Amino acid sequence: MFDTTKIILKNNSRDIFSKIKESPILYGFFSFLMIISILVFAFLTYFILTFETKINIKIEDVFFMVVFSFFVKSAYDFYRYYINSQELKYALSTHIDQKKTVSEVFLSVFTTNLFVWFVFSILYLVFLSAFKIDVYDPVLYLIFNLGIIVSICLGCTISINFFSPKRIRLIPTIILILFYLITRDPLYVVLTLPVAILHIIWSIKNSINSYQYIRRKERTRDRNQIKIRSRIKAIFNREITILWRDRLIFSFIFTSAGAGFGSGYLYLYGDEIFIPESLQNFYGDFLPSLFIFMGVMIVVTYTSVFPALNLFLNEEKTLWIIRHIPIKNDTLIYGKTSALILCFITSIPFIAYISIFIGIEHIFFVIWFLIFSYIAGAIISIPLGVKYVGKKSDIMLLYSVTMILFVVLGIFSTISTMILQNNPYALPIMLFIIFVELFVLFICLKISSKMLELKYPSTA
Amino acid sequence: MITVKNLVKRYGKITALDDVSLNFDNSKVTAIMGENGAGKSTLLKICAGILPFDSGSVTVEDFSIAKNPIKAREQIGYLPEMPEMYNQITGREFLFYIASLRKLKNAEKKINQITNTIGINNFLDYEIGTYSKGMKQKISITTSIMHNPKNLLLDEPVYGLDPLTSRKIQDFIKSKKQTTVIATHSTQLVESVADYVYIIMHGRIIIYEDVSKLIKEYGNIEDAYFHIKDEKENV
Repeated sequence: MFDTTKIILKNNSRDIFSKIKESPILYGFFSFLMIISILVFAFLTYFILTFETKINIKIEDVFFMVVFSFFVKSAYDFYRYYINSQELKYALSTHIDQKKTVSEVFLSVFTTNLFVWFVFSILYLVFLSAFKIDVYDPVLYLIFNLGIIVSICLGCTISINFFSPKRIRLIPTIILILFYLITRDPLYVVLTLPVAILHIIWSIKNSINSYQYIRRKERTRDRNQIKIRSRIKAIFNREITILWRDRLIFSFIFTSAGAGFGSGYLYLYGDEIFIPESLQNFYGDFLPSLFIFMGVMIVVTYTSVFPALNLFLNEEKTLWIIRHIPIKNDTLIYGKTSALILCFITSIPFIAYISIFIGIEHIFFVIWFLIFSYIAGAIISIPLGVKYVGKKSDIMLLYSVTMILFVVLGIFSTISTMILQNNPYALPIMLFIIFVELFVLFICLKISSKMLELKYPSTA
Repeated sequence: MITVKNLVKRYGKITALDDVSLNFDNSKVTAIMGENGAGKSTLLKICAGILPFDSGSVTVEDFSIAKNPIKAREQIGYLPEMPEMYNQITGREFLFYIASLRKLKNAEKKINQITNTIGINNFLDYEIGTYSKGMKQKISITTSIMHNPKNLLLDEPVYGLDPLTSRKIQDFIKSKKQTTVIATHSTQLVESVADYVYIIMHGRIIIYEDVSKLIKEYGNIEDAYFHIKDEKENV
């Protein structure tokens, strides 16, 4: 009984332990950063409660933020363990009743997320107590717990029904979310717990119509598009097919749009929100550009660094294919890198949204900075991806690259702002910088190609 | 023809192949047998250009795998023991992808011909992620032979296949006129298709012999294998 649940949970814990064993320093650092992040949140809470600022955050806002986070996380976890699971794929593509398996997958998502919630919330409360804030409120904690349960149930229903032939089954989830938006009261979320449970049971019952059938139909329909292509085009086509089928493109677009909207909004109102009025004169000029910088960082990390690294890291078990085919490493690297063009296109919503807030006079610089950062992301990520080709995709590598990029872009954005401000030759300088950067990228690809070569003894 | 000279391959402190020298002759089917971890798959991977080695040399049709890897790889078809492929694309997409990379002419005709023979043609529009082990094996076999290579390296070619397909693959191997190397545990397969056999123990070749001669001497390959292995272990 509960074999699927046990296997998923065991795999998760084994994966974490093996990674800790492989790179203890990196994971020690990562755990330390997680604890520090919770400490920072606790400190922010303490700061908001103790000092007078214009930030007006209510407990309802915190509740909905936490619930939304777990909603998204559960939907993603369910997608990973069920919809996109390699282990379950064959079983799911048959006509065998899947209700038991899917229920157990749900149970693992439920257990994992509740565990994460308990660990994080308890740590947060301990830190708050350390700041001498009274945290004794069992009713509120119970409401949060029930809210998390509702969000896990609804998150899983999203994954099941979005990837089914009848997306109409998403309607109850959408109605519930709209209801929460209108009422904006945690108590109403808690009251809908029976509805959420009924909905997840109903969704699991109908999970037989898994998206595998839909995908198979789509693949048969797309058959006519399969043809012999040139080598670079074939590699490009395969990479973007995988990006498309993993639904990553949509995720890139949403992130870009969200980052554009968020950083644009903060560009206008950020200092009013975050800085006490008495201090605003000191920080007024600094913060808006920082928010734009952070927006660009988010977009570049997600649409450049992440796919550029995974272009190579994802070849983990398929390395034999690229190694035994008689193609030059250059061809392989150019083909894979060209797929980043599609990823760059997904960052256009960032430009569109941010231009609404910052005005047309600054947008040219932001576009230039985005292109610059995007290429810089590729320059750093591609050689690292090649260096670790055949190794499993690792969040820590992504994190490390992002940190390097953060420092590089931070320094460069400061220098470029100084050079370009009120400079009559700004445009040629900007174009020249991009040209130089493209040249550096080209050199980087050449170096990566050399790194991909197998090292044979000189006497061979 | 594949020539291996004084090949040494180490994984850290473990020596997987220790001063191995051998020839895989033209138009012959050669089997490599040995226990798990003896170095069979490592040898095939090195010959296919997937793994580097520490010393020695490997040439495929006179092209050094180290100095002229592209030319050497053009002469090879390789089937790995565990054929992992891109799970998000279909079998047909994968075959056309490999055909594009190999710049294969008449790819569609060749793919249809092979997939019909080994019985995977009805599943070509399914995503590879939904395939069973045997189906993946069939797709991988198609990629290894569709360019009609002069040298075929097959690591456990019939493992995971149904009896009918297994028979078809064996018939195909027997009908081939090119150099074929099979790494396998199956003594039945060796008896059925191989002309010569190498037995590897702890990364060293302990015997190279004509299969028919071994059968004549010991009755069958299984008995021959255990007899030779025990003899060498006692020494």
